[in-house]
Amino acid sequence: MNQPKISVDLILAKMAEDVGKSQKHILKSKEVLLGPLDTKIASTPHEIVYEEDRVKLKHYFPLAETRVKTPLLMVYALINRETVLDLQPGKSVVENLLKEGIDLYMIDWGYPTRKDRYQGIDDHVNGYLDNIVDFVRHRHEAPKINLMGICMGGSFCTMYSALHPEKVKNLITTVSPSNFDTDKGLLNIWAKAIDADLIADTHGNMPGDMLNMCFLLLNPARLMIDKYVGYFENVDDRMFVENFIRMEKWIFDSPDVPGEVMREFINDCYKKNLLIQSKMELRGKRVDLQNITMPVLNIYGRFDHLVPPEMCEPLTSRVGSKDTENMCIETGHIGIYVSSKCQKELAPKIARWLKERDGVERKDFAARPAKAEPKKETGPKSRPSPKRTQKVVAAGSRS
Amino acid sequence: MDHDDKEKGSPDWFADWIKSTADLWLSAAKTRPASDSNVSEGSQPSSASYHGKLEEGWQALLKTWQTSSSALSSPQILELILKGSNALPESAMRMTRTTWDGYFQLYQMWLKGVGKLGEEAKAYSFEGLEADTFKGWAEFYEKEIQPLLKAPPLGLTRFNQERANEAIDKFNQSQVAMAEFLHLLGLPVEKSLRVIQEKIDEQVKEGKLSENFKDYYNMWIKILEGHYMTLFKSPEYIKILGRTVNVTEEYKAAREKVLTDMLQFLPVATNRDVDELYKEFYGLKKTVKELAKKFEKLESLTAREASHESA
Repeated sequence: MNQPKISVDLILAKMAEDVGKSQKHILKSKEVLLGPLDTKIASTPHEIVYEEDRVKLKHYFPLAETRVKTPLLMVYALINRETVLDLQPGKSVVENLLKEGIDLYMIDWGYPTRKDRYQGIDDHVNGYLDNIVDFVRHRHEAPKINLMGICMGGSFCTMYSALHPEKVKNLITTVSPSNFDTDKGLLNIWAKAIDADLIADTHGNMPGDMLNMCFLLLNPARLMIDKYVGYFENVDDRMFVENFIRMEKWIFDSPDVPGEVMREFINDCYKKNLLIQSKMELRGKRVDLQNITMPVLNIYGRFDHLVPPEMCEPLTSRVGSKDTENMCIETGHIGIYVSSKCQKELAPKIARWLKERDGVERKDFAARPAKAEPKKETGPKSRPSPKRTQKVVAAGSRS
Repeated sequence: MDHDDKEKGSPDWFADWIKSTADLWLSAAKTRPASDSNVSEGSQPSSASYHGKLEEGWQALLKTWQTSSSALSSPQILELILKGSNALPESAMRMTRTTWDGYFQLYQMWLKGVGKLGEEAKAYSFEGLEADTFKGWAEFYEKEIQPLLKAPPLGLTRFNQERANEAIDKFNQSQVAMAEFLHLLGLPVEKSLRVIQEKIDEQVKEGKLSENFKDYYNMWIKILEGHYMTLFKSPEYIKILGRTVNVTEEYKAAREKVLTDMLQFLPVATNRDVDELYKEFYGLKKTVKELAKKFEKLESLTAREASHESA
């Protein structure tokens, strides 16, 4: 039998070299890990202008002169937190949109507790979201505002725009599922195999940790092994560690999802695919996508394994609007918000698209706005502006 | 099965077990010299002697087992062993026998599994997921243990007993399902390690062995990722995932009922009480919010009309 030739001397030499490198690596890593690290997330200055139960509305302080008159309301999903849109200075969708001169609001859904288990999609769309839209409309004395939804939040925005088209000027959906009749993406396959009623009945809310486990299982080789191998390889690089920890903070900050929302989303959307067929009903009203007559910008990632393009693309062909655009970015589900390449692409595109459709509309508001809770100030305020002060006063007068 | 049958039948199953165990170790022993000889051919003398010692120890152990097993399987010895056990009450014997039957069934399946160890590993293939082992246990549990837990309880605490039995039953089912699920999750790791071993063997033969450990790691993680993707899309996985989630939830619900029973004796609110309150609270809050909205609209309408009139 021919014996293979193994260059033992070369392997030993490489090992010796590696040991030397490892020593330096460990010493540097110690310095980095035990030294001060800036891992703060969601640090763009903002104030809380509206509160209802656990839900809060953030208003960001402008970083540039307002170039889009209609305010933009961002609606994140109920899974994980909206902080991914403002992960770190320089890599923040929020910051980039502000620099483009957009007046920006964002919903923080908070942390649902057991008492929120009976809240369904309707409570979020026709309840919280509608109240917040009314609040922003009246705050700006604008009959309509711009809506931007992220993931499940995009599905909510689609439902809202179909039910309240008179309040939405432009609709932007990003990585938002609307068509669930596909076997692309493991979530689609798995969601159809589980009994959502049983989970909702026994757990009350869908535990965030359970969801996280589910997401980790989508690719355990990369998410549970390779990711941390990469971390330990670069643990001597302070910037890498800071970015890594920021992402870890976001990933594992997982609020529970209200049981009824989860039940309805899995049964009506994943299993019955009602949304795209305009057969979904909220509070007895049919969510007819033909009612979406405002301009629609539909953005999704080509390599998104959670919400693959097949789940997003069909929306524009089903809505009533003639001004629609699909934009496919060469990235994944989260990369769309955090990758450096997408940062340069996403915010400018949104700003440009909104500016082109930013006709000024004014209306005399006779109806009173939804009541805002007493305003609470949060977040750093290193960059105050006269405009902000004016707005704070306006918000205060409504509370 | 009557007493006589049991006496006649017992030596057979015991002898079967002795024989199958001996067969297993013999077949395992046969594979060792071939694999060891490969290693020792190209290794250093010290390595060869180390393998020689291992071989000696292995053979000695096997010899001891063969001697003892052949002695144990003789009808006289078996009779002696079983004579003592005949003194046990029949019910205890029946339980032991039932458990043994279950164990033996499992054992036979494991033997088949062990037999598969030497087979070639096909990448990205998950046929025959060794689910028979879990299926065997599930069947045994359903046939032999579950009926005992489902027997109708009697008396004042019959409902409490029923709930406790249900919790035990669901717990057992969830454990089996979870074990099967975890076993399934471990399969890609096992398979990928075998595939990478084969790939390294190929590289060794071609003389293309890399000096960098990271190359092997990258190769392995790619294979592992591929294996997981294949597994996660397989109907077997989806079926087992669904079953595991469902059974675990059912156990949680059954456990909750037992806890509620226990907490009723204490001055604390149970989850059921709290959920009922939350439901009422949710309904009331929704009604109040709707009414408040309607009231606000009415108020502004009235104000408008008043301003029109005054104008």
